[in-house]
Amino acid sequence: MKRRDFLKLAGMGSISFAASACTSETDKMLYSLVEAPGDMVTGSPAWYASTCRECPAGCGILVKNREGRAIKVEGNPLHPVNRGKLCIRGQAVVQGVYNPDRIRTPLVKKNGRWRPVSFSRARTILTEKAFQAAQGGTDRVRMLTELVGDSQMSLLTRCLKQLHSRGPVVFEPLAYETLRTANREVFGIDGLPAYRMERADCLVSLGADFLETWLSPVEYAWRFKAMHAVRPEGKGIFFHISPYQSLTGANADRWIACDPGREAAVVMGLIKAALEQGRGAGLPKALIQTLRDASGGYTPKATARMAGIDSADFEGLAIRLLKAKAPLILGTGVDTGGGAFPADLAANLLNLVLDPALTLFDFDHRHRMEQAARRSDVLDFLTSLRADAAKLLLIHNADPVYALAADSKVRETLTNDRLFVASFSNFMDDTTALADLILPVSHPLESWDEYSGKNGIISTVQPAMGPLTPAPQVGDLMMDIAFDDQRPAPDYKSWVMARLHLRGIVREKSGWLKALQTGGMFSAVAPPNEHPHPPMHVDGLLKPVSIAAAKDPARPVFAAVPSIRFFDGRGGNRPWLCEIPDPLTKVAWQAPVLGHPETFKAVGAGHGEIVEISTRSGQIRAIAYITHQVKPGLLVMSMGQGHHDFGRYAKNAGINPLILMPPEPDKDTGAPVFFATAAGFTGTGDPMPLAHTDGSRIQHGRKIALTVELGALRKKERMHEKDPARPTADETARHETSLTMDGFPLTLPLPEGYDPKRDFYPPHAHDHYRWAMVVDLDKCIGCAACAAACYAENNIGIVGKDRIIEGREMAWLRIERYHDPDHPEKVIFFPMMCQQCDNAPCEPVCPVYAPHHSREGLNNQIYNRCIGTRFCSQNCPYKVRRFNWFEWKWPAPLQNQLNPDVTVRSKGVMEKCSFCVQRIKVAHGRAKDEKREIKDGEVVPACVQTCPTGALTFGNLMDVNSRVRMLTGNRRAYQAMGYLNTKPAVIYLKKVILKG
Amino acid sequence: MTALADQKNEPRKAGKNALLIFWMGLIFVFVAGFLIFFYIPPAADIGAAQPIAFSHRVHAGIKNIQCQFCHSYVGRSSFPGIPPVEKCLYCHKYVIANHPEIQKEHMYFNTKTPTPWKKVFYLPEHVFFNHQRHIKKDIACQECHGPVETMDRLKGKKFKMGFCITCHKARGANLDCWLACHN
Repeated sequence: MKRRDFLKLAGMGSISFAASACTSETDKMLYSLVEAPGDMVTGSPAWYASTCRECPAGCGILVKNREGRAIKVEGNPLHPVNRGKLCIRGQAVVQGVYNPDRIRTPLVKKNGRWRPVSFSRARTILTEKAFQAAQGGTDRVRMLTELVGDSQMSLLTRCLKQLHSRGPVVFEPLAYETLRTANREVFGIDGLPAYRMERADCLVSLGADFLETWLSPVEYAWRFKAMHAVRPEGKGIFFHISPYQSLTGANADRWIACDPGREAAVVMGLIKAALEQGRGAGLPKALIQTLRDASGGYTPKATARMAGIDSADFEGLAIRLLKAKAPLILGTGVDTGGGAFPADLAANLLNLVLDPALTLFDFDHRHRMEQAARRSDVLDFLTSLRADAAKLLLIHNADPVYALAADSKVRETLTNDRLFVASFSNFMDDTTALADLILPVSHPLESWDEYSGKNGIISTVQPAMGPLTPAPQVGDLMMDIAFDDQRPAPDYKSWVMARLHLRGIVREKSGWLKALQTGGMFSAVAPPNEHPHPPMHVDGLLKPVSIAAAKDPARPVFAAVPSIRFFDGRGGNRPWLCEIPDPLTKVAWQAPVLGHPETFKAVGAGHGEIVEISTRSGQIRAIAYITHQVKPGLLVMSMGQGHHDFGRYAKNAGINPLILMPPEPDKDTGAPVFFATAAGFTGTGDPMPLAHTDGSRIQHGRKIALTVELGALRKKERMHEKDPARPTADETARHETSLTMDGFPLTLPLPEGYDPKRDFYPPHAHDHYRWAMVVDLDKCIGCAACAAACYAENNIGIVGKDRIIEGREMAWLRIERYHDPDHPEKVIFFPMMCQQCDNAPCEPVCPVYAPHHSREGLNNQIYNRCIGTRFCSQNCPYKVRRFNWFEWKWPAPLQNQLNPDVTVRSKGVMEKCSFCVQRIKVAHGRAKDEKREIKDGEVVPACVQTCPTGALTFGNLMDVNSRVRMLTGNRRAYQAMGYLNTKPAVIYLKKVILKG
Repeated sequence: MTALADQKNEPRKAGKNALLIFWMGLIFVFVAGFLIFFYIPPAADIGAAQPIAFSHRVHAGIKNIQCQFCHSYVGRSSFPGIPPVEKCLYCHKYVIANHPEIQKEHMYFNTKTPTPWKKVFYLPEHVFFNHQRHIKKDIACQECHGPVETMDRLKGKKFKMGFCITCHKARGANLDCWLACHN
């Protein structure tokens, strides 16, 4: 072909291409409202205070509503439980209400198939069934519910009474029966007191995963970090004693890996040591004598042998604990080895011995979780359904078939023809699938209610959006079913108000409105007048810790543990929770089985290979994940996945470890058993790709996440105090070996950081603002709440398991997890987001200037300019840039959650953290309106807002008095891989570790 | 290379070139026709027909009603808001209440149906324009939206980046990508 011809044809081609690109006017419509609600301004958010119902902790939330849609949930700063913070599960509330697999219309089962019916028809069916059943005699209508608020509980009881039946049974899979029983035996209170953890200086946990699921994780996260903060007088110390390292264990200063079920031995050893020091004065003499007798055999050596720990570790623990001014011993989480009850008993007794006044226990603000039925009572209830004449079972947001997966009798009970089962669930969970009728009720974000996670406070629930379905509130529905006329209240909202009035909490309407605006009333309720009284003696309770048969590597113990992401399984269908990897394994979507290298070596299974585990209850095939964070002889899997249906995100994802658990509860406490001895454990040798997001478990000496020893830090500080002008040893070293990995100085991303000797480009000018973030690694617990907040705020795509295996996850903020190469049990968490470098490697390599340096220091990524060369990602040393390989899907109505202030990126475009520039713009607008500059702390990115421990600080580096600027002067400040001369605007503060 | 060389040596064929010219001409006619119909359609002068024959000329021009009376959020939000049909009826309950177009409003109000207005001013989805900031700088609505008080049906406009940049440069306004418009 001739050159001329080629040019002609090319010209024609481009004309026709240009012509075809001109599409017709998009048929966009602009709908006007019929009536304008008073609290809605298009383009501006309205915030509603409410209460999170994703777990029984009951954190206060503020729900952001834009044009009628709830798009984001943040913690309520006024709420005493969470103080404005929220966990990963709380952030995902909106994915429950907008879940594409939410059941939108009632379903009736006919010949094993679901048939949709109208709400009124379903209500009629249920009313008829209830009426017929109630006519037959007493206790013909029974109810199983999740933990609900006081108002709800009283109404349900009232309605069931009208139907001649007993009140509902409250089923919570994690109800901490052993803790409750131990509290009853030792303190005389069958409940769950709160802990004033922030006042302790030495904390010992016997496996309680209080940073993940235990009682109230957001609350205990901030309390723990208050206790663990670096203070002039020192730093609190935290020991975690458990056979596997949970996220909480990974945050401990010392993780003491005991054998499964032997935690009690350690505590008995500590009791002996304390008594020998003469502690426990003021306790009844008889009790002291009993304790002395019971703990007599627990010499340090014997204790260490029995618990399977190193005796030096035990002695270190004993010395530190007995030296402490305010020691606190927390109990167990789930029972991973049969020793939870003796351990909790011993822990309570040790608390008494160390501090007879129990000053760190808060018996006034007990956790509402104590109202859940014991597992044994739930099982009795389900058995009685078979035997009794019950005709109708109502199930409200409880999934016993999943939680009691190993108990085939539950399934039989629910499928029994004599019993009509109605589920009020919004999702096709394992229990709902067996029901005869599904009548979905409204979501907490669409309802009026009241739920207080602790005694002594009232926390209100109000609709934060219009209802997506005509589903009724469960209280309204129950009144419709139980009452013809003479309803106790016209609707459920009036019932809640009337109850609060009756209890003398809310006296007039203005009080109610004020409570709704605040999110509740936090000091209006008189606490229960119950005080602990130490027992006179505990004969018979303190049985010697049993020493099981010698360990058999072929028959390890298999334990199911609660998950920070899915709780007990109720979060399994939220795509963010599936997509954000587990903090410790960094595996998303899958449920691997964790074990020590020795455990897997015994069956010849390698990392990422399938193993088969069977117990007398069942069998599973799972991917082996080799880690040193589990004691040899133990296999651990987190619960929450492996649902039969539960929607597209939960289906075929992970495994339910509960199918391996023995169905019988513990005889002493009625607690469920979360461990079983493997009857069979074999490797298959079949590899299975793990959907993990970590490139490596160690840092390869690259100086990314750094630690500093407390003593060394103090020395540096003291030298600085004595002579501020004299450079510290470090700084002298810097001058000598500067610009090497070890000696590179901290260089702020400001014009004064410009050095012609090492900078190629001229400095950037900033007027007034240079945004920066300080990340305190000593406060970061790795909980990933920030990552979830980032997904919610910035419309980040969900890519799914297969794409994650290809390394294509989209998270703008990830928590990196690094193990110490020499001590793999030592873990450091490292939040990594765009470092907004002053000398950004992404900027000069882009052929179209899509990454652009703003005058406020941000590295703007201009989506519509990006042509997808991915050079920037290649050149970014932090690997924080994410490329849209596909057009990500938000199946309806999940797209309603998208933040209208942030572009939804399309295929072929690079994206990354923006420091939530949309929030910076809002602050700019407000400051301009008020003719002032943006105040310090006025801009709060989503990650900073939600961090339960306040590890993140955001602000303006140009302001020498801003908190970020002050923190950059901290002795611990450094920049991640600052030696590359990128001059990042994210400044990290080294994690402070204790010697040894 | 040999093929190219062969072609070079061939004598020019006038007929082949004429065919090419014919095809190019035909394509030009089609493209020109398409462009004319696309950009200057017969009804382009008067703007899109709306579900209710609302006239900006009558309301904003003759009756001199302030823009912000109907687009009431414009000074305090990114979006100006379009009035709820309830607001139209504040006046039209009394003013020409029986006019067939006002009856349509009653129909929307009584059946609680949102009015499906056709959008006339377009911005691409990746642009975040904030009305409030411009109103607070005393920029008249007409500077971007044109003389709406003279138009019955709004002609509408697809805003392009050059339009914004020209003004931002002239007034020394924010030219930063994220901080100004894109994020």
